[in-house]
Amino acid sequence: MPTMSETTRELTITRLFDAPRELVFRCWTEPDQLAKWFGPTGFVAPSVTANAVAGGAWRICIRDTDGVEHWASGVYVEVVAPERLVFSFRWDAEDERQELEDTLVTIAFADRDGKTEMTFHQSGFVSDPSRDGHVAGWRESFDDLAAHLGGERS
Amino acid sequence: MAVDQLSSTFAALADPTRRAILARLASGEATVTELAAPFEMSLPAVSKHLKVLERAGLIARGRSAQWRPCRLVPAQLRDANEWLETYRQFWDESFDRLDEHLRELRQQEEDEDADDE
Repeated sequence: MPTMSETTRELTITRLFDAPRELVFRCWTEPDQLAKWFGPTGFVAPSVTANAVAGGAWRICIRDTDGVEHWASGVYVEVVAPERLVFSFRWDAEDERQELEDTLVTIAFADRDGKTEMTFHQSGFVSDPSRDGHVAGWRESFDDLAAHLGGERS
Repeated sequence: MAVDQLSSTFAALADPTRRAILARLASGEATVTELAAPFEMSLPAVSKHLKVLERAGLIARGRSAQWRPCRLVPAQLRDANEWLETYRQFWDESFDRLDEHLRELRQQEEDEDADDE
């Protein structure tokens, strides 16, 4: 059953990591660290650049087991060690017909007795402010619709 | 799925009247007159919204020339969800790896501390 935030093209993931937030924050902002974990299972990250200051750029290449490479890049908007990180995120076009959009990633790192609660949020429509204004509205109108879709799926 | 289809889905959704129409259709078929009733809007204006929704594949119109009832087509919204699921899977798997990497980093720190003693 999809939740409302999924039907509005927003994604929130919360994870608890058994490590202090200084360390988790470094894993997000230092190229050597990013290369160790960025990408799904089985992927490697052969190229990572990250200038983690507001206005700085980042760019990552991930490669799957078949050798196929995907590039993603963006710009840091807010870098507040070790508590908050905001950056834009977009995949490089791999096909000229593709219309790819910028998304915005906001990550909050909260200290939980020496562990780190990370709240990861990604939303679309960064490049189209006119749509941004509607995102909140979708939630309200779509309760019926989500219930309907859930009913059809089950 | 094609990204431009997704764009037209989300563009169609980016309007409160059209979202209200979809919410109404979630409870069953309706004619244009029935759909127009709650809005202070002419039938042609409502028809225009229905055309946008139809082009985006969010609704379908019946064939009967006289009534042409509208109904919801959930497939496009499912595709919108799939778009998100792709990202969710990407990050979930990355965070599993981050979890593992953090464990290794902490283990290294402990080993170094032990060496210092």
